[in-house]
Amino acid sequence: MSLLELQRVAKRYRDGQLDRVVLREVSLRIGAGELAVVWGLRGCGRSTLLRVAAGIEAPDEGIVLFEGRDLAHNREGVLGAGIGYCQKHLGSGSQMVLDVVMVALLAAGISPSQARVRASEGLERARVASCATLRISALNTAEAIRVALARVLALEPRLLVVDDPVQGVDLLERDGILALLRSLANDGLAVLASASEATGLSGADRTLALSAGELRGPPPAELAPVVALRRASARQVGA
Amino acid sequence: MGAERDAQAGPMHSQVNWALLGLVIERPSYAYELARRFERTYDGVLTLSSVSHVYTALAALRERALVEELPGTRIGRQPKPHYRATPRGVEDYGEWLVGQVDEDLRRQRLFVLALATYTRDPRAALEILTRYEQACLAEAARTPIKPREEVCVGDPQALAARLLAEEGRLALGAKLAWVEYARQELHVLADVRMVAG
Repeated sequence: MSLLELQRVAKRYRDGQLDRVVLREVSLRIGAGELAVVWGLRGCGRSTLLRVAAGIEAPDEGIVLFEGRDLAHNREGVLGAGIGYCQKHLGSGSQMVLDVVMVALLAAGISPSQARVRASEGLERARVASCATLRISALNTAEAIRVALARVLALEPRLLVVDDPVQGVDLLERDGILALLRSLANDGLAVLASASEATGLSGADRTLALSAGELRGPPPAELAPVVALRRASARQVGA
Repeated sequence: MGAERDAQAGPMHSQVNWALLGLVIERPSYAYELARRFERTYDGVLTLSSVSHVYTALAALRERALVEELPGTRIGRQPKPHYRATPRGVEDYGEWLVGQVDEDLRRQRLFVLALATYTRDPRAALEILTRYEQACLAEAARTPIKPREEVCVGDPQALAARLLAEEGRLALGAKLAWVEYARQELHVLADVRMVAG
């Protein structure tokens, strides 16, 4: 079963007198351990697609299923538990990195001591543990995106959604971010990312293109049906 | 004399010859060592038919005065003459490298002109574009990730791999953006055809 499934999703925005269609009949499936990247130029609907996939915005048409549950009915229960949407803005520059990562955990009702441990683990996983005691304003772009990822990872999601993770990151630091996303998928996390440049596609299991609200790309690999092996008879086992 | 010889020889088209010249520029080597270095460096990009291919290429490079034998290396019972690049070889190699831009542009023009033959049937052209886009996306996904912290900074092969990956990704990015532009043009053309026809 797919972890995330979008079925014929449409999304429109009111633009003055006009209805602007941002997503048209978008269907998409992502499984655990898969890194899928949606490529598209600015204004193509990438960010909207990711927000809809993460359950932050509801589609106007179609269904978004997470672990088989319709997000339209279970949004509160799913967000914060199973789906981690990476919010790149880290807040006030005077805050300390560890505190920023802890906030989401405390909001989820986790005790301060446990939140500290999990926040540290998240920073470690994002390979930015050395920044724990820095202020947000002291981070470079690559470190900031790693901290943003750590904040989500600390919540232990099963699906990570991240919009254009290498945008604005120094050219020489981009592969480090991509390697992190790849390793998260290798660890079993489903990752849905977007990219406005081809660099952001490296290492993806599946790449899709979004233009004028239409998503194009190969379908996910079909899993072979599970066929039960015939049980060997006692005589065969004994032979 | 040199110019006369050039006129007779004409431009050197063999990419293997140019690639070998590059390796000789990197450091003087003898033929067998060059063959090994060639295989390591150009694996999957260029191939040698055999080690003797290197001898043929070196003869061609010497004929054009792009490489020369390193004095004092043809010694012993099994001499291994080393070859080094001449100043002219270094200069011509640089020009050949820059000339690759023209070659890339020529290939891209060929694709665009070939696609333009579909203008009578914009829907078919759009279908081709989509397949081209998918090929570019798949190629970009296959580009290896090489985080800086995981490679040795001083390793020339690692640097070459990183430069190659980035060149490929940037080129693919330009192609993908062009596909989007071409798609919009073809949609307009398809709409015009539909209204007219």
